[in-house]
Amino acid sequence: MSNLITMNVTKSSWADEVGEEFDLPFETYTDENGVKTIIEYKTNDDGKKVKVTRKIKKTLITERVNKVAAERKKWAKFGDERGKKAGPDLSTTSIDQQIFLKLSTTGKHAESIEESDLNKKKAALIGKKILCRICKGDHFTTKCPYKDTLQPLDELNKDLEATKEAAPVNEPVAPENSAGGKYIPPSMRAGAKSTTGDSYKERRDDATIRVTNLSGDTTEGDIHDLFRRFGGISRVYLARDRETNICKGFAFVSFVLRDDAAKALQAINGYGYDNLILRVEWAKSSTS
Amino acid sequence: MRPILLQGHTRSLTQIKYNYEGDLLFSVAKDQVVNVWYSHNGERLGTYHGHVGAIWTVDVNSTSSILLTGSADNSAKLWEVRTGKCLHTWEFKTAVKRVAFSEDDSMALVVTENRMGYPGTVTVFSVKNDIDAEQSDEPTMIINQEGSKAMVAAWGYLNKYIITGHENGEISQYDWKTGEKIKSIHPHTDVISDLQMSEDRTYFITSSKDKSAQIFESNTLNPLKKYATDAPLNSASITPIQDFVILGGGQEAMEVTLTKLRHGKFECRFWHKILEEEVGRVKGHFGPINTIAVHPNGKGFSSGGEDGYVRVHHFDEDYFKFKYPEL
Repeated sequence: MSNLITMNVTKSSWADEVGEEFDLPFETYTDENGVKTIIEYKTNDDGKKVKVTRKIKKTLITERVNKVAAERKKWAKFGDERGKKAGPDLSTTSIDQQIFLKLSTTGKHAESIEESDLNKKKAALIGKKILCRICKGDHFTTKCPYKDTLQPLDELNKDLEATKEAAPVNEPVAPENSAGGKYIPPSMRAGAKSTTGDSYKERRDDATIRVTNLSGDTTEGDIHDLFRRFGGISRVYLARDRETNICKGFAFVSFVLRDDAAKALQAINGYGYDNLILRVEWAKSSTS
Repeated sequence: MRPILLQGHTRSLTQIKYNYEGDLLFSVAKDQVVNVWYSHNGERLGTYHGHVGAIWTVDVNSTSSILLTGSADNSAKLWEVRTGKCLHTWEFKTAVKRVAFSEDDSMALVVTENRMGYPGTVTVFSVKNDIDAEQSDEPTMIINQEGSKAMVAAWGYLNKYIITGHENGEISQYDWKTGEKIKSIHPHTDVISDLQMSEDRTYFITSSKDKSAQIFESNTLNPLKKYATDAPLNSASITPIQDFVILGGGQEAMEVTLTKLRHGKFECRFWHKILEEEVGRVKGHFGPINTIAVHPNGKGFSSGGEDGYVRVHHFDEDYFKFKYPEL
């Protein structure tokens, strides 16, 4: 049996409704395929008139059962059910949602074969250290989960060095504390020692990158997994919606070292993750 | 498939049982009421009132005329299936943990708990299958348990033996006529939680809290198959049609609050009976599965859980088409 429910909301002005309140029509007809259509009109909670069309197809399935079982189906109910009419009672019986029993032959069997294979390989490689070129994990590069999406770390380092060489460092030279200018507090003057709080904050901001365009399913663990290979992570902050706890689409990752952060920025910017292209940039300090 | 949810109990299920034709499903729980349901649509046919303690076990005779239940109120009761009337009560010194009709319905075994100085016993009564007949209070045989107490028991084929599963993981075979222990093995390392016979009673499956289920031959107690899982098991059942066994269990109820739902392992696991491989899972319960019963025609199964629900499943078409490539 299948149920098809379609709802059409028809707007009407208050003037039209006068006098129609109580004569909401009701239609029902059955077509040649045995599909029964019931059209009802009712007023919903908002005072709007609603047309409800229900299409019902009934299929009779005949099942052959044992004679005694058929006899038992006619028994009168007893105990707590005494006197109740035939058919399932909604207070004790309900239909749960659809679940699937997926039967597969590739269960533990396949796993165990794989495992024994793996063990053999591992045994052959005892003494040799396996190091993935991509993520530095202890597996073969071909088995790396990032194989198709990420550059090997070595190449990345080379690239990074190349770009460094190509672009000469052009850090702004601190202006000389020329006489005759504005007043500059001693702490801000060239050569002055910065306070510890500042340096801490700077350091943290320095090695922090902002990742945007994350999907809603992303968790802190995912971010950790993605960035762990570049170096030590000191903090991961994933912006979440206060109510729904769903990821808002961006995260901050603080590395211990700025170089690691640079590496991560280079590698992950434009990286496809969860069907989205990630964007990575340096985190801007909240004060600036 | 869309399972039918039966909400007739207010406390955790202890045992469910199909009758011989499979059209009726009996369920007992710790809430002192026995329910009987039509298995095809989940309609409740009736309830049986009279026990004043948690009901641990239920069995029905092959003609579906007499029902036998055992409870923590130290009694086992015989009921008329059709009307819910209590026909007879057997009183014991301690709680009744398991009851079972013999293959020809002429006898019933009752496993009682080892408590308060009374040793655990397996008591055999003769049962008259006429609902108007006077039932005898005199047991045919009382088998006293030495050592570890029996948790579950079942009759072998042609009423040859009684096979018991013990608290320490032992399985014993008794001659019920003499009360002698014929054989004993120790295959499990923890409590045996369930013992169900195959259709012809020539072999049986046990489930244990040691996270494994095993199949043994009834005659020799030879171990045939072993299914090792990752959760303590409360029930195991053998399916007709397909060569599967269904295992159910999960983390202990008292530990459930300590972990996440998906770590509880509250799923019915389907294992291939012969190849000892897991082939599928059915989820749905919110707590450990306490009892599993398979429809005698193999077209469905039911599970009862600590969460108080019975879930009745009718298999989809593709279940019957499933074939192992190498078989």
